[in-house]
Amino acid sequence: MSDGERVSAPRMTAGPGQGIGARMPRKEDDRFLRGRGQYVADIRLAGLQDVAFVRSPLAHARIKAVHVPERYRQLVFTASDLAAVKPIRAVSGLPGFKISEQPVLATGKVRHVGELVAICVAPTRAEAEDIAASVILDLEPLPAVHDMRKARDAGTALVHEHWADNVFLETLFEVDIAPALDAPIKVTREISTARQCMSPLEGRGVVATFDHRLDQLTLYTGAQMPHIVRNGLSDCLGIEQGRIRIVSPDIGGGFGHKGILLPEEVCLCWLAMQKHFTVRWIEDRREHLSASANCREHHYDITVYAERDGRLRGIDCEATVDSGAYSSYPFSACLEAAQVASILPGPYRMPAYRCRTFSVATNKCPILPYRGVARTGVCFALEIMLDAVAAEAGLEPAEVRLRNLVQPDEMPFDNITNKHFDSGDYPEAMRRAVAAIDVASVRRRQLKQEADGRLIGTGLSVYCEQAAHGTSVYAGWGIPMVPGHEQASARMTPDGGLEIRVGVHSHGQGMETTLAQVAHEILGIDTAKVRVIHGDTALTPYSTGTWGSRSMVMAGGAVGTACEKIAERAKHIGAKLLQLDPASVSLRDGRVCGPTSSIDLSEIAHTWYRRPQDLPPDVDPAGLESTSGYKPQRDSGTFSYAVHAVTVAIDPDLGSVELLDYVIVEDGGVLVNPMIVDGQIYGGLAQGIGTALYEEMPFDSAGQPLATTLADYLLPGPTEVPEPRLDHMETPSPYTMFGVKGIGEGGAIAPPAAIANAVNDALRPLGVELLHSPISPRRIVEAVLAAREAERPAA
Amino acid sequence: MTEIGIEVNARAVKAWVEPRTHLADFLRDHLNLTGTHLGCEHGVCGACTLLIDGMPARSCITFAAACDGAHVTTIEGLDDDEIATELRSAFTREHALQCGYCTPGMLISARDLVLRLDAANERDIRLGLAGNLCRCTGYVGIVRAVRSVIEDRRKRGIRPVLSAGREQLGPVGSGNGARGSRAQVSSRPANVEAPERASSAAAIPDFVADKIFEQHVTIAAPPAEVFAMFGDIKQIAACLPGASLTAEPTPEHVEGLIEVRLGPISAGFRGSARIGRDASTMSGRIVGTGNDQRSRSSTQGEIRYHLVPIEQGAATRVELSIGYSLQGMLAQIAREGLVRDLASRLTAEFARNLERRLSGTAESQRTRPASPVDGGALLFDVLRGRVRAILRGLLRR
Amino acid sequence: MKAAPFAYERPSDLNAAVALIAEADGAAKIIAGGQSLGPMLNLRLVQPELIIDIAGLAELKQAGRSGDELLIGACITHGDIEDGRIPDVTRSAMRCVAGAIAYRAVRNRGTIGGSLSHADPAADWVSALPALGAKVRLRSINGVRDLAVEHFIRGALETALQPGEIVEAVRVPVMRPSARWGYVKACRKPGEFAHAIAAVMIDPERGAACAVIGAIEAAPIVLRDAASLFGGSVTGNFRRQFDARVAEALLVEAGLANAADRHIHVAVLRRAIDEAA
Repeated sequence: MSDGERVSAPRMTAGPGQGIGARMPRKEDDRFLRGRGQYVADIRLAGLQDVAFVRSPLAHARIKAVHVPERYRQLVFTASDLAAVKPIRAVSGLPGFKISEQPVLATGKVRHVGELVAICVAPTRAEAEDIAASVILDLEPLPAVHDMRKARDAGTALVHEHWADNVFLETLFEVDIAPALDAPIKVTREISTARQCMSPLEGRGVVATFDHRLDQLTLYTGAQMPHIVRNGLSDCLGIEQGRIRIVSPDIGGGFGHKGILLPEEVCLCWLAMQKHFTVRWIEDRREHLSASANCREHHYDITVYAERDGRLRGIDCEATVDSGAYSSYPFSACLEAAQVASILPGPYRMPAYRCRTFSVATNKCPILPYRGVARTGVCFALEIMLDAVAAEAGLEPAEVRLRNLVQPDEMPFDNITNKHFDSGDYPEAMRRAVAAIDVASVRRRQLKQEADGRLIGTGLSVYCEQAAHGTSVYAGWGIPMVPGHEQASARMTPDGGLEIRVGVHSHGQGMETTLAQVAHEILGIDTAKVRVIHGDTALTPYSTGTWGSRSMVMAGGAVGTACEKIAERAKHIGAKLLQLDPASVSLRDGRVCGPTSSIDLSEIAHTWYRRPQDLPPDVDPAGLESTSGYKPQRDSGTFSYAVHAVTVAIDPDLGSVELLDYVIVEDGGVLVNPMIVDGQIYGGLAQGIGTALYEEMPFDSAGQPLATTLADYLLPGPTEVPEPRLDHMETPSPYTMFGVKGIGEGGAIAPPAAIANAVNDALRPLGVELLHSPISPRRIVEAVLAAREAERPAA
Repeated sequence: MTEIGIEVNARAVKAWVEPRTHLADFLRDHLNLTGTHLGCEHGVCGACTLLIDGMPARSCITFAAACDGAHVTTIEGLDDDEIATELRSAFTREHALQCGYCTPGMLISARDLVLRLDAANERDIRLGLAGNLCRCTGYVGIVRAVRSVIEDRRKRGIRPVLSAGREQLGPVGSGNGARGSRAQVSSRPANVEAPERASSAAAIPDFVADKIFEQHVTIAAPPAEVFAMFGDIKQIAACLPGASLTAEPTPEHVEGLIEVRLGPISAGFRGSARIGRDASTMSGRIVGTGNDQRSRSSTQGEIRYHLVPIEQGAATRVELSIGYSLQGMLAQIAREGLVRDLASRLTAEFARNLERRLSGTAESQRTRPASPVDGGALLFDVLRGRVRAILRGLLRR
Repeated sequence: MKAAPFAYERPSDLNAAVALIAEADGAAKIIAGGQSLGPMLNLRLVQPELIIDIAGLAELKQAGRSGDELLIGACITHGDIEDGRIPDVTRSAMRCVAGAIAYRAVRNRGTIGGSLSHADPAADWVSALPALGAKVRLRSINGVRDLAVEHFIRGALETALQPGEIVEAVRVPVMRPSARWGYVKACRKPGEFAHAIAAVMIDPERGAACAVIGAIEAAPIVLRDAASLFGGSVTGNFRRQFDARVAEALLVEAGLANAADRHIHVAVLRRAIDEAA
């Protein structure tokens, strides 16, 4: 039987070329390579006006007055204008959580630098900034809470005056620590990570307009989770969700920065609804750096107990996270710190454990979960500690880990905090990494002096990345967003194409390609004929969106499930057209095949839509369209993991660190598109290197952020990021469709720990140990000088 | 508004622009060429890189008005470009893009390297792309793609083009505009009024200074006399570089303006200070706060002085401690060291002025009237003198 | 991040430009390539009433030998120098310095005169040119005057430019064949602000050495006669004779309070000297 005449596209090449596991170039590339992507700032609407915000220059102050020049009174809006708008509330159900209300425009007080105080509207951004400059803020400075550790001291200023202290939430997780206390090895350290700015190349952006015909607000916004933004907007504006449409077009990088309901979004929607403006606001880099340094600031007081042979007896930790001034919607102010307690032990076995956490309110911008969320800090703290244990025990760091890692025959494994590790062989990954980085040769090299006077060190770290965790995990947090079944719609078009609609958002992850690969895997349809539609609440099923490395597992599963339904129905129709028993046909290479004949899906689609008279009488009336929900068999999450190993050379005089070699042995389950997985790891690594060596938003004692240009806030460039050597293990997840696991964040988790361990390995002969990221040249030189000073015999 | 004529992607364009409109905004907003992206608007990230007169340049810190007569090529103009076509296919093959935001600028810089580099040396490629940030890919695919295109072209015998063929000197894009005939283009800005700070009678809060500088000067007058001079706030204010009073001071309160200049940056902090004096300890403190509306910055500062009798009470050693904190945009933007350098220079100048003025006063009370001191001119003389003295001292060693 | 409004003038020739600048009476800012001023304008750190664009002035975009020196017009770009579009009298020293300034796209517009006028202590020319013995030629309606670069740079972002004056050219002497050049800067990444710069020109044949320690967030330390760094005299063995304590003392005197910073500066100076050796 011939292909349908209408299908002019070339026959797809069946099998590995396009399905799961295909290293397929991306469908979305071409528009970006020609400068024809469409980001929020590229949207042009009739009458579009620009918004600039008046933002607080102070971290903490009482607002005495906002003076707006009379001639701008119609173009400037302050909190009193928005009195009917409800504040943003992101409440956690965890006991003891204190609620913060974030007014969309500051009311009464400003609580961080960059907080919105007034909205200015003008035909261009430049003019809007002119107006903003003319607005006078009369602020009475209050003492700023800038240090999360001092924030808990008695007598400290209060960020929220109706609270008794500055703690959003304190948690304690304990499995009787007492038996560990007499361990022969006890190492204690104070470890911390700097506050960072996620810094996607594109900042946030918002365009809002009101469509009177549809009685609908349309909000174009760079949102990783458009449906969640709609939930929040509806709450704040007090309007029904059907009157809101969120469109999230191309996004220039998310990483968590765009997983939030923004006060700016609420403000622009209010302007569109109440003032009939069509408006846009585009976050500029200064706004981004000065008002959105929103992640990674952790502090650990941590003690590890171990046997002489390096086996862990227990961990005792007090962790503090600087949550900033408000609780962000939907992730809340406490997710990160509370998560520390549950993820700290990771894939290691230990009999005793105690972790107390504090989510502390300060006069900084509210935190958001950045790629890796708490895991980057946790990995940094724990893996540095394991190296300290190794030094104490006189063992190779890898050996200490091998003695404590979960063994493959223990899988699935519930660790001490009841994290359910689905699969994997962690020791094997460790062995491969040690072999690849060749620790033995580094040790030999360390015995000799380097010709250039540099010091060589090697370090490694292990992490696991819980991904696509669902209802059972998030219901426990009790935050405004709990993921349930992920849905996808799949619909064949009359010419044999396939449209897939998903509520997750692809902003670099390549889902327009990988979800097409999933469809291909099930239906055999040429991926060139598959369109993935996302980023529009009017066109896609509800979803909590893209975060937590969940999209491939969840949306992939949903697409797979929806396509399976279509496959069944297509087979039924195909069998009738082939005059065969439906039980005797199968779907192969995009064709319904009987023993001797076959028919192309496009012909079946043509029949369903345009020649229904040829359909069997018992045809499923749902047709070639299906919306299906999906959840893995267990929703406790997939666990990808990796071992990162790095060799560094340090110039102790300049404090510079060169990454000589970098190895990643990674197990991300079944890889849908290995090229894209590699890209995620490479990109994550670059961000991890940023955390390790470059990125830091310092604050002064007044809560002023001090690195507010990219000349001060250093992002790694091409010369700072080496090409790592990758080795993939592919242990399928037992719980997910195709055995896939989430891998989006992992690359960013391990590098700070591995690099810190390598630096400390190199500097150990000098008696130097660095425990704070980023490991800047100045920190290295200061530590080296201090160590030399300490060694100098008293004169 | 200024009229400009630019050739954009081989198409002649005439337009009226505000002088402050940078080239990227002009292309995006006037011509709807949105492939040129803005990532930082201060020349670091490279997202806005495009070709001006065939050479890569930052369109965010190049004003459209400065490009009169220039040839501009954006990513949209490279659809049929041979090198760009090869790069696009290599970028796809090597997964050299994810979110796509840096991609247009990256391609422009990559194209320049393909054109110019002798060989596909990885280090040279990475250095050559150092001005283009990518937050997604870790650069692996980008470097591979650029390397493969260079290798391939050199293998095909296509030679590198030194200087990308440029012969003209000076900033790319400059000097193309009609010269002489239409020499002057000008426009006047819409008047933006300098807003007066609403004067507030609030109490001036105490504060802890971030930075403190200590200085001392010697005045040839007994402490009691010097202490009395410190009571004359007008006199003290006149010693503070850039300071002027805006209202008649009282013994406890003073209102004024301090103008500060750091290179091209200038700020005027308008505010008030409270004055405290303690005759029993021969010390005093002036604590003030001021706002610069234009940069939305505020400063708090204090001058503490303590008078110590020397030379059996015939003269006075004035121990000065000057502290300040800075908040707002200036604190966030100006590199801390530069501000510190400025503050220490101002402190030194204040001490110097104080010494001259008070000595003069002490003298004049006996002999002649005080003369005004030009603070500004003094500063660098003092500094230069100091540095030279240090260097001379060292060289003699 | 859009600049505050300003008026814009593009004078037709140098005389017109200087007249315009005089007329503006300090209310104008001069722009050439705009690679330093542009960001400050966008950030609204600088809000001039008038911008005078001198990038088009042919007089400032020429370079040529004049006796024992090379005269480089103020609007010659770093890229012009890097690519060798102008003659080189420094045995590639200037080409190397130019090629490591910021990024290619910036070098294609950023000018040598602009960089000097801006006087950012971390800028390359501010430290490299004094070591090369260069002078700047300044022009106003009253005529021209020449200043050694180290006398021109007076502090962080502070120069000796008087109101109405602009940098017209840089005069770089021909480097002697026996002179050794070393230039090292410490940056955390290419194109970033330097945290330490050292430039040395050492001529053991003549027993002369010049050293510059720059990027100290103030005017660089310029040792026109740097013999003190080498125990009092400059010989062929200068590399071994380098006395780090002298450099350390200079930095202390210059007010660098942080020992780690001083350590880095001294290390960078040592490397520049090694490079020259």
